[in-house]
Amino acid sequence: MDELSVLPPEGSWKRSARVRTSSLNPRYAYTNPSPSSTRAESPFRPNSLSSNTNGIQSDTPLILAPTPQRHLIESSASQRWLNTPPMSATSSRPSSPQAAFSQSSAYPTTRIRRRLSSNHTRSFSALLAAEKSEQVPVLPSLRGGLHRVSGRGLEPEETGGGRRWIRWMHKRGIKTWVVPGVIAGAALLKFAIGLGSYSGQNTPPMFGDYEAQRHWMELTIHLPMNQWYTYDLPYWGLDYPPLTAYISWLCGIVAHFINPSWVGLDNSRGIETPESKFFMRMTVIACDALVYVPALVMFAHTWQGSRSKRTQELSLLTLILQPALLLVDCGHFQYNSVMLGFTILALNFFAKGQDLIGAAFFVLSLGFKQMALYYAPAFGSYLLAKCLYLGPTKGGQLFVRLALVTASTFLLLFLPWLSTSASLSTIMQPVTRIFPFARGLFEDKVSNFWCASNVIFKWKTWASSASLVKTSTALTALGFLPAVAGLLRSGITHMTKSELRDEKDSEGKQHTPFLPLLPYALLTSSMSFFLFSFQVHEKTILLPLLPVTLLLSGAPIDSAAYSWGALVNNVAVFSMWPLLKRDGLGLQYIATLLLWNRVIGYSPFKLPVKSFVQLLSMGVYAAAILLHILESIVHPPARYPDLFPVLNVLISTPVFFLTWSWSIKCGMEVGWALGGLGNQSHSPPVLDAKEVEDVGGVTAQGTGVLIPPSNTTLSYRQAGGRTVSLGRAQSSGGSSSKATASTSPADLFEGSGSMGGGGEAD
Amino acid sequence: MDEDAAPSLRKSPSVASLRSVGSAGAPVPASAWLSWDILPSEWDILCLSTALKFLLFPAYRSTDFEVHRNWLAITHTLPISKWYYDTTSEWTLDYPPFFAYFEKLLSIPAFLIDPQIVDLNNLNYDAWSVIAYQRTTVILTELVLGAVLLKFIRGSIEPSIQRIVSASIFLHPGFLIVDHIHFQYNGFMYGILLWSILMARNGNKLASGILFAILLNFKHIYMYLAPAYFVYLLRAFCFSPTGHIHIKNFLSLANSVIAVFVVSLGPFALMGQIPQLLSRLFPFTRGLNHAYWAPNFWALVTAADRVLLKYAQMTGAEFAINESGVASSSRGLVGDTVFAVLPNVKPAHTFVITVVFQLVWLVKLWRNPTYKSFLTALTLSGWTSFLFGWHVHEKAVLLVLIPLRQVGSASRLLAAERQAYFRTFLLASVAGVFSLFPLIFNPTESIIKVVYSTIWIAAVYIPLSRRVYEYPKSVIYVIMDALEKVYLAGFPLLLLFVTAFRLFQQQPSVSGASTARGMCVATDPLNLSCTEVQHETNATAVSAMEFLPLMATSIYCAVGLVWSFLRLGFIYLHEETYQGQLTEIK
Repeated sequence: MDELSVLPPEGSWKRSARVRTSSLNPRYAYTNPSPSSTRAESPFRPNSLSSNTNGIQSDTPLILAPTPQRHLIESSASQRWLNTPPMSATSSRPSSPQAAFSQSSAYPTTRIRRRLSSNHTRSFSALLAAEKSEQVPVLPSLRGGLHRVSGRGLEPEETGGGRRWIRWMHKRGIKTWVVPGVIAGAALLKFAIGLGSYSGQNTPPMFGDYEAQRHWMELTIHLPMNQWYTYDLPYWGLDYPPLTAYISWLCGIVAHFINPSWVGLDNSRGIETPESKFFMRMTVIACDALVYVPALVMFAHTWQGSRSKRTQELSLLTLILQPALLLVDCGHFQYNSVMLGFTILALNFFAKGQDLIGAAFFVLSLGFKQMALYYAPAFGSYLLAKCLYLGPTKGGQLFVRLALVTASTFLLLFLPWLSTSASLSTIMQPVTRIFPFARGLFEDKVSNFWCASNVIFKWKTWASSASLVKTSTALTALGFLPAVAGLLRSGITHMTKSELRDEKDSEGKQHTPFLPLLPYALLTSSMSFFLFSFQVHEKTILLPLLPVTLLLSGAPIDSAAYSWGALVNNVAVFSMWPLLKRDGLGLQYIATLLLWNRVIGYSPFKLPVKSFVQLLSMGVYAAAILLHILESIVHPPARYPDLFPVLNVLISTPVFFLTWSWSIKCGMEVGWALGGLGNQSHSPPVLDAKEVEDVGGVTAQGTGVLIPPSNTTLSYRQAGGRTVSLGRAQSSGGSSSKATASTSPADLFEGSGSMGGGGEAD
Repeated sequence: MDEDAAPSLRKSPSVASLRSVGSAGAPVPASAWLSWDILPSEWDILCLSTALKFLLFPAYRSTDFEVHRNWLAITHTLPISKWYYDTTSEWTLDYPPFFAYFEKLLSIPAFLIDPQIVDLNNLNYDAWSVIAYQRTTVILTELVLGAVLLKFIRGSIEPSIQRIVSASIFLHPGFLIVDHIHFQYNGFMYGILLWSILMARNGNKLASGILFAILLNFKHIYMYLAPAYFVYLLRAFCFSPTGHIHIKNFLSLANSVIAVFVVSLGPFALMGQIPQLLSRLFPFTRGLNHAYWAPNFWALVTAADRVLLKYAQMTGAEFAINESGVASSSRGLVGDTVFAVLPNVKPAHTFVITVVFQLVWLVKLWRNPTYKSFLTALTLSGWTSFLFGWHVHEKAVLLVLIPLRQVGSASRLLAAERQAYFRTFLLASVAGVFSLFPLIFNPTESIIKVVYSTIWIAAVYIPLSRRVYEYPKSVIYVIMDALEKVYLAGFPLLLLFVTAFRLFQQQPSVSGASTARGMCVATDPLNLSCTEVQHETNATAVSAMEFLPLMATSIYCAVGLVWSFLRLGFIYLHEETYQGQLTEIK
């Protein structure tokens, strides 16, 4: 930093500054020994250096700055630092004087530049602070209409009720109450949704999911374990893995203590007293509070740990109010939040580098609901990639440990069936109950590939069930292959470099450099299961929704993750409309959607103007609203009683398809960014041409990337480092595009990554 | 608006009060009512509350729901001459004519949506259509309240405080419990009341008077507030500050108010139905206490009577025990309350006590007819009637809570003064809201009411408490402060006790018929029909202690409400000399 202060002002300092600042890089890397950042840096340094020495002329002064741990899809450091855009709409924090200065440098007037040069020491620290807080950069999505920064008058123009509220709480000096407030408010909302009806209310003889869950409580407390999976199977026989059974058993004990008639064996079937309903609703909310809510809080601290406090709180708020999960769990009645909570916990521990705990949690998730298998390819390949990355010895150790932990957790879960009887059939009881392959390609109307294409190809008449199972399995595997390949490739790429690292770094306690790939991989994998696999329910969309919402939470409002995440969330709720309508949850559907979109400040009109995602969103919402209106005034013709559900499927499926493609695209982008192109010998993951075409429309969008902080940044923040949260990375207007255009070799990486720098998006 | 222009002039309370005499001078031009300019945060609050209210559609409804449905049917099917004579349902029309007109208006879309809603003989109709329709009308009419509260912010001296106050009124748990769960149209009514108050603040006293007259013709419970209005308008509008009467103002006010009443009662007067109408509106057949004792002074007296009776029975002390009183009043049955030990209370007694207390505030108001003084006197006036009135309903506590909420932001208060108001408000709000809890007794709704009220209290208390903190100066203050804190801390314990009692009690009753059931009584005086807890005829196993939680709630809340009433009264009477912390108590 001292070096900077002796720079000559204006004019002549430009070039020397480059030389000098570029010399800062190694030094900074030394003081900030975050393996991921230094490693991530390395491939580009030659590029930027060459650009400096080549002396490509540029109107904007370039300061090559240290870039601690940050996503390199980001525009080059120079451009970013000098052309810091005005505070983005996503940042709710009042700017410090320093930040204000760094902001003003966005305007390429000479006067300001002079100020920059005379104040550069001060600005440097400000920039550093800004940089620190800006761990999760996003590609500039650069549409002129996005600078909604103007009205900072009486009430600053924040986007989204959640942001406004959090900002207000912070300004009032009561920020410690934000998280309790969020949790209490969400609890209130869950209770209120619970007032509504549930799946199968008043529909004897079979009732619905509510009765299934209640029935399991009844049978687990009254029967010995070896009958759990065999007792009266036609009437809601237990077909979830053992952890569900155990939790049902615990709830059943409490219910039996309060009122035995709620869970009397056989004679309580279909019991629907207000008190028993209240009890059942309470069990859902209690499980939610014990698993899901803590997992979300922890997620905000680990995955969003490098972000400002407000962004963390906002991401918690976004996640906790996710309408689809609220409707299915508290309205329709299920315990999905437990499975999803365990999955998030697994993610959190992976981010902390505690892979063994993470793996155990994922097994718990699997042991609660077999649906968590949708995530298995992503988690599995991530762990495998980590083993590869750590090298033969350490990786091998980790592999063995992981195998042991996973197997022993499974064993623990299935222990009663293993010990009570040795016969294979008893052991297989749960397994055959859990995986019903005999139930057909799809039930009901679900927005996946099979159901949507069934409108044209009548699959069931066209092919045998067995061959369909095979086809669907193959398609599913093909669907998640890019994610698996991407992770493994990253593991291998980084392995070669990891040999260079000294021993301290490779303790395995750090998260791996390719961790940011994981959410995308989860999305790709679960979405491909949803789209292509066998026996999918409409509620299963909750699984792909989880990674999407994780990516969305805390993403800047103009990022692609935000626009896609909100779109998919809304469409997912819409795709469950036939189910919700049957359950009598129409009001809850409206209320939760309204509330959530208001909280995150989402509106399709505010998306990047005329971008692909905006046009898509507009089209989809228009179609959805039209469908709702039609449904309310027109009765379906007798020939097509399922007309509206089918139309619903036809609207929703394309969105899910595009999301899947988008996740693959983002996975590739992030993978490239992490691995770099310069020293790569092998080609990127295979993707057929059609998909690339699909993706083409969205390449100009920014990508929100979650990167958990390394220990260094954490400690910096813990030490009270004043940071400025600049929620975005937009190049501002003309100056940025000029910079991009004129420094093309310097920004070689951007161009080659086809990653939509300023110029491309125009 | 105009107050914003010169806020810095006001440094002392006297200047403030002087200033607020002419409070804000010119009336707001009519065009200002058309320009809304709603801020995003205000949309947020609207969205949040609307979403929550939507979710409450399937919640428990009291028989007030059927009452209002029946009124829709009456006003839709019958000619106006039969409205106040119809007895098809037991829930006869017993609100003033404007409310009947209002129901007539609502019945038109209702007929289009589902003709069965307005079928007079279709008693206890509870299809989804009628639930959705009636609940929606509550939400929509409550927008009047929202609009008025917005206008309060726009012209406020301190918008940041008024914003919190406005938001907290709009989201008041009282409205949530009574309107959106229990079912009534209080949001709408209080919207009109606050509109009238807003007019008084803006200096448009004539409009204020007219609006209040209209409100009275919607729901006559607001008569509790009428004395304060009468005195304020007379003094501040019809008399000049020097004591000369403004004939022109007086006549315009009188004529306007009379015109409102003519529009309302005129048709019935022409048909000669006024006596019948009045007999519907004021059925003087009820006892001192309502079934669930409203948390007022008489609840304390009744409790004292019970205690004395127990004492007499245990020690054999020679009290003249009224035998009929021994069996009375602990059972919660509707009927006359007869005291066992204490002398019985007649309506005349309550009337005299109420009038005496009212006079104190009114004299003060006459001397100091400022807006802030008016608001406080209004609150105290309603409070007096609530505490000492005959057969008061617990829901009437809103009459206290809503204006009281507004008092704190009435004008630029001194920090010390604000602290005192704030503490008073906190005590009264906690006690008042808690006293509404027994209205809702289903488990799910109970959780919602408790969680919501807790969030609300926290959201009101936490942001404001920092602003109004005052360092204690005297020993008495410290003791008082500690006692008040202890009192507030007692509420969670009380809640715990009530809940545990219910859980404990529920177990034996599961097998048989449920023992307690919400019932509503139609012909309540002042028309706050409400939830009763009545015995089923065959419920022999019910213990005598069944109403213990209700009694405990009532008494505990009554303590807080009486105390905060005294507090507010004290602050009001010492307004000019008040230096904070009630030091004059010494």
